[in-house]
Amino acid sequence: MTAAAVTPAEPEDLNALDDEAFRLHVRRWIEANYPPELRHPPKRLHWKDNKVWYFKLAEKGWLCPGWPKEYGGMGLSPSKQIIMTEELERWGCTRTNDHGIVLLGPLIIKYGSEEQKKYFLPKILTGEHIWCQGYSEPNAGSDLASLRTEAVEDGDHYVVNGQKIWTTLAMDANWIFLLVRTDKQAKKQEGISFLLVPMDTPGITVKPIINLELHDEFCEVFFDNVRVPKKNLVGQINKGWDMAKALLGFERIYLGSPRQSAYALKGLRELAEHMGVWEEPEFQDRYARLRLDLEDLKAFYGVYVAKLRRGETLGPDVSMLKIYQTELFQRITDTMLEIAGENAGLLGPIEGNRDLNATGLFIQARPATIYGGSNEIQRNIVAKNVLGLPS
Amino acid sequence: MSEAVASTEADRAESIRMIRDSAAAVAPRGGDTKRVRALRFTDPGFDPAVLRQMGELGWIGLRVPESAGGAGLGMGEMCALAEELGAGLAPEPLIPSALSAAVLAAVAEDRATLARILAGEIYAPIAWQERPDTLDVPGSPDAPRRFIPQAAGAALFLVPVREGGRIALYEMPREGADLAIERTQDGGNYGTLRLALGQAKRVADDVGAVLDLALDEAALTTAAYLLGVMEKSFDLTLNYLKTRQQFGRVIGSFQALQHRAADLKIQLGLTRASVESAAAALDAGAEGAARRAAVSRAKARAAEASMLVTRQVIQLHGGIGYTDEYDAGLYLRKAMVLANQFGSATLHRRRFMKDAPEGAEE
Repeated sequence: MTAAAVTPAEPEDLNALDDEAFRLHVRRWIEANYPPELRHPPKRLHWKDNKVWYFKLAEKGWLCPGWPKEYGGMGLSPSKQIIMTEELERWGCTRTNDHGIVLLGPLIIKYGSEEQKKYFLPKILTGEHIWCQGYSEPNAGSDLASLRTEAVEDGDHYVVNGQKIWTTLAMDANWIFLLVRTDKQAKKQEGISFLLVPMDTPGITVKPIINLELHDEFCEVFFDNVRVPKKNLVGQINKGWDMAKALLGFERIYLGSPRQSAYALKGLRELAEHMGVWEEPEFQDRYARLRLDLEDLKAFYGVYVAKLRRGETLGPDVSMLKIYQTELFQRITDTMLEIAGENAGLLGPIEGNRDLNATGLFIQARPATIYGGSNEIQRNIVAKNVLGLPS
Repeated sequence: MSEAVASTEADRAESIRMIRDSAAAVAPRGGDTKRVRALRFTDPGFDPAVLRQMGELGWIGLRVPESAGGAGLGMGEMCALAEELGAGLAPEPLIPSALSAAVLAAVAEDRATLARILAGEIYAPIAWQERPDTLDVPGSPDAPRRFIPQAAGAALFLVPVREGGRIALYEMPREGADLAIERTQDGGNYGTLRLALGQAKRVADDVGAVLDLALDEAALTTAAYLLGVMEKSFDLTLNYLKTRQQFGRVIGSFQALQHRAADLKIQLGLTRASVESAAAALDAGAEGAARRAAVSRAKARAAEASMLVTRQVIQLHGGIGYTDEYDAGLYLRKAMVLANQFGSATLHRRRFMKDAPEGAEE
């Protein structure tokens, strides 16, 4: 579908639109302005390839839907933010280098000093600062709170030593936000602080990691006597863990969104037709199960969206969405390989058709049950914090 | 759509809460299973006095328009009620009675039988089913009617019979009827009725369309009842996991059991979302294929998830779960009866694929 390249009149207050009108408004603008060659990228794009979209959103004032208007955001309600995300996904829009937008910005708005707000937020909006997130470490993955990268006071600086890993797109970033240990004596969650560090500080080395997609999405980042001015500490010393945790709610509902499974199921149907098994009753029953699982996931997800709409905060039970969505995504892509015959061994899409990318989706689905807190950790959370089972 | 479906979301939530509270009259939360056990494997398998009470509370006619003597409430309320009754394992045939009331209210000119059904004075099930696992109503004039729930307590039967292109409805007295009763796992019974239309009274000309709709509502209400069964049996199991000690520890501290409990909780969440969203779709006026797809989605989920949960309830309890004295088995046996009543998961999956427009949701 092609939409005329016109910008529809912008309503004063997007929050005042009803959900459907808002959805259509956003949809029309995306369809008219999104670079067509970037639709449904098979792999996560680097900054050099996605910045055109970052700047388009920035120019429109739509880069930061969740930020309050006073800081240059759209000030959208959570339910409108979800609609916006759904529309971006529907059109197959690329993710940008969005760690500053999604993670750091909200944290600075909530916990940063006035000076930090004035300095950092505008530079995210203009794309001058591209951020990456330094949380995980080689020995602190699922057990993040045991992280050991340390920051030691030295005059008006902290000196940082240690190593981060799984740092998404660190090679594209010019700033990193870090969780560092500032008190080794305290209980492990209570000795962690939150630091902002320019990537060009002497002592920082970035090494890309090639993942199973054969893509250099992640990096290792090494810190060797890296000197960070004290004014780059956000919030109070040793309170970094609580601040980082307070902002995880949105991530968990995001990871539970049915988008990945819905996209994969569409791919499964196309693949089944291509392979000539679509009409087979055995396949139809398998497909029906997956489709019903997806429909019920959508209903379940809707329950949480409705909670956000009523202004409620999400509890630990939102972990159930993440578990079910990511495992459904995997079951769908498992089924793709099973029906694909020898194509299940291809490195690229079948017959070069990007819509028949069985192995690509299968590989992409693997880390979904690991990142954002592995599904084993999520099940521990449900058992302990939802069901009240003892340790 | 019912005339009195409350308009705003808040009114609706309040109305559903009130229905839930009123269910305590028959199935008090935290109540025991003494009453249910006493009625098991007896005739008629339920307490006619409690069915009357359900009539007095307006439950049998919950979905019947006020103009026909009902309460005119929505599927949201009906499902909430059924869920509470499922949690209490109430054996009274509320769902088949409501099915009869909905059909008679829509078509019959003579309101006498309807009034007695609505009041819970009599149990008058519709004898529509001719083979296992179906929602089709062929209306054969000679085929025996099967799987009539709690037929041992029926005062009369409502029999749909095809006449040309239409399905007429006959009222057949129990007295003198050729009725065979089989016990069911949950302590109730199914009846097989051989028709004797000579003794029957014709009460409506064409119930085809209304019966299809009412059967869909019965299927969805059954899914909600199963949700209650699942919730209650899962609660029982959680309590057990938190108190039973082995190897010097509470068994609920073992990660293998914690993760299984988490997976069951997810199935409960999916089933609730499925049932409640289907009820909301019907209350918002979903018709035809959209209605069938919503109902089938919920019933398929409830059928499979209830069997999964109640099987796991036995397993997680260990040996005690296998004793008849413990309640775990009551929930499993109830799920065994209801999972396939008004259509199995397989039937509903097939129907969903036929009726749900692909891609419409995107």
